[in-house]
Amino acid sequence: MASIQNRIETMNSVLSGERQIARESMRLLIVEDDTDAAEYIVRAFREVGHVADHVTDGEEGLALALDGDYDVLIVDRMLPKLDGLSLIKTLRDKSVETPVLILSALGQVDDRVKGLRAGGDDYLPKPYSFSELLARVEALARRRGSRGEETVYRVGDLELDRLSHRVTRGKEEIVLQPREFRLLEYLMKHAGQVVTRTMLLENVWDYHFDPQTNVIDVHISRLRSKIDKGFTQSLLHTVRGAGYMIRDGGGK
Amino acid sequence: MTALGKLFRTTAFKLTLVYLVVFALFAIFLLGYFALNTRRLITDQITQTVDAEITGLSEQYNQGGIRRLVQVVENRSRRPGSSLYLVTTFNGEGLAGNVGSLPDGLLSEDGWRETYYRRQEESDAVEHHALVRVFQLPGGFRLLVGRDLEEREHIYDIVIAAGRWSILVVVVLGLAGGFFVARRVLRRVDAMTETTGVIMNGDLTGRLPVSGTGDELDRLAINLNAMLARIETLMAGLKEVSDNIAHDLKTPLTRLRNRAEEALRVAHGEGDYRAALEATIEESAGLIRTFDALLMIARAESGQARDNRVELDAAELARGVVELYEPLADEKGITLEVEAPAPAMVRGNRELISQALANLVDNAIKYVACVPEKAHRDLAIKVRAVNDGGQVLLIVSDNGPGIPEQMRGKVVERFVRLDQSRTVPGSGLGLSLVAAVARLHDGELRLESNDPGLRAVIALPRADMQAAA
Repeated sequence: MASIQNRIETMNSVLSGERQIARESMRLLIVEDDTDAAEYIVRAFREVGHVADHVTDGEEGLALALDGDYDVLIVDRMLPKLDGLSLIKTLRDKSVETPVLILSALGQVDDRVKGLRAGGDDYLPKPYSFSELLARVEALARRRGSRGEETVYRVGDLELDRLSHRVTRGKEEIVLQPREFRLLEYLMKHAGQVVTRTMLLENVWDYHFDPQTNVIDVHISRLRSKIDKGFTQSLLHTVRGAGYMIRDGGGK
Repeated sequence: MTALGKLFRTTAFKLTLVYLVVFALFAIFLLGYFALNTRRLITDQITQTVDAEITGLSEQYNQGGIRRLVQVVENRSRRPGSSLYLVTTFNGEGLAGNVGSLPDGLLSEDGWRETYYRRQEESDAVEHHALVRVFQLPGGFRLLVGRDLEEREHIYDIVIAAGRWSILVVVVLGLAGGFFVARRVLRRVDAMTETTGVIMNGDLTGRLPVSGTGDELDRLAINLNAMLARIETLMAGLKEVSDNIAHDLKTPLTRLRNRAEEALRVAHGEGDYRAALEATIEESAGLIRTFDALLMIARAESGQARDNRVELDAAELARGVVELYEPLADEKGITLEVEAPAPAMVRGNRELISQALANLVDNAIKYVACVPEKAHRDLAIKVRAVNDGGQVLLIVSDNGPGIPEQMRGKVVERFVRLDQSRTVPGSGLGLSLVAAVARLHDGELRLESNDPGLRAVIALPRADMQAAA
């Protein structure tokens, strides 16, 4: 018991950090034949308040995915009986549009492209950290009926107009470089959620490699100096060990 | 297996045998056809002469009666030759002719017969073979005219003998030839088998013998040798990689383990444990990065990433990477500029080329940042994408410490890091990856002096030139 208690504490401090917003509970299906790894992430998801089911082979996974009402499917690429990519293709052929995150030991560009072509929504190479997995799963869950269609994102008194490309905070207009705009847009689209460095690199820059030096931090601190400097309330937060989050700090 | 047994199992010998049989059958058929036709020709000739004689003799009989016939037959019988004559009464009593004895009842019916007979002049002698025609004359007399068949039989015998000899010759020559050819081929194939056996046992330096005649076996040997050479290079590369992996993954793993053990030994309280665990996670993240880089180099070098190539503007890639690194450089007081005025088209993988370029810029920033402040230099890095003849050059030049000339070849190898750079974080794989990516795209990585500093050039084939060629 003590060890689980410890883990929950660790998890809370690492993952939630300064995050205090109530998390909506998600229903997840994990299709993974490595039982140890799967049990670890099932426990970890439960600790942060989500419900996760686990099956070990592709056929069972497909059956559950077709029946069950899941928010996100986490599917390993190499599975007994029915491999991950075929599972996803079958789902998509049957018009099941549940977001799928593919886990794979194959982390190369080509493999990722294959995974996404098969109908996957995101691709996470092994080994991964749980915080990365959690951030991506939450981003996928939120994508359903998300802010995708909204034209103006608002967090606190920060406003981003996606059509006119204008950013204002309070009454002040903030001038951003095109890339800074896209960075802020992505962060605000996922307001209240942790966004990892790799997610930013993939979605804002479309790079899928890991730069040797952490270049994202510098971009973030530049952005922060533009949107938070001179304001008492900080909106762009660093989540230690995980990534960044934009949220209205005064919300609670 | 005996040598003969081995010979019987060779393809060359089996082929020889098949040809031998076919050829012998053909010879038999040809000779048989010849023999039969000769025989028929001779028989036809005999029939025609005999018919003519019978016509002549019956005319004599019609004109001069039996006396005249007997006279003529007597005359003709006396001539030497193979002609046979006999005139008998109705009862079979001989009146004239040169035939001694005949089988009984031969004369009772008209027509052609092949028969045995004895000659008059050589009584008790051997029986001869003849073709005869019996003809009944008006008045009950019988006339027999025929030819001895000795001649025909003789020719027939000659043909049969010729046939026997020729088949014997065909078989002997064929067998000997087949044996010779099979032996020759077999010996060379055996030599090849022996060499491959040695190679299979692990000696990859072995090569198959090439006779220099340029025949099929030579071509096979040459191709197999080329294949062996390729395998040998790949194996050498693989061995080097695994040696390096073993060495350079064990180092951080040992560090990881030491740190964990130390934490168990000396840690007091949760804070220490937490710090140790965080350090462990960080170290393992570094290990994963190293491992990823190694895998990517291996894949790039084995050419697996050759698919998924598209036409790309290297100038745009350069601008993208500079945009990514500009804030970092700025933070360290380095001017990072891009100069890519015109499109520079290459065929390749966007991710890989960007990563290679990012590695070069990353390195440049790390090392330029090491320049001591007392050097009083404006720190600068310039990234250029230019068309240069048939090539596109992606150039990253800096005014940092540079790399001594004798070390430039060395730093591209995996895990090699200059002593002075030990303090700078990095896996030692950055430049190897750049070189591997360049090679994958049929290009190269050149490291040159920038006086001061380093100029790293990724030279790639120009895509629009390739299309024109």
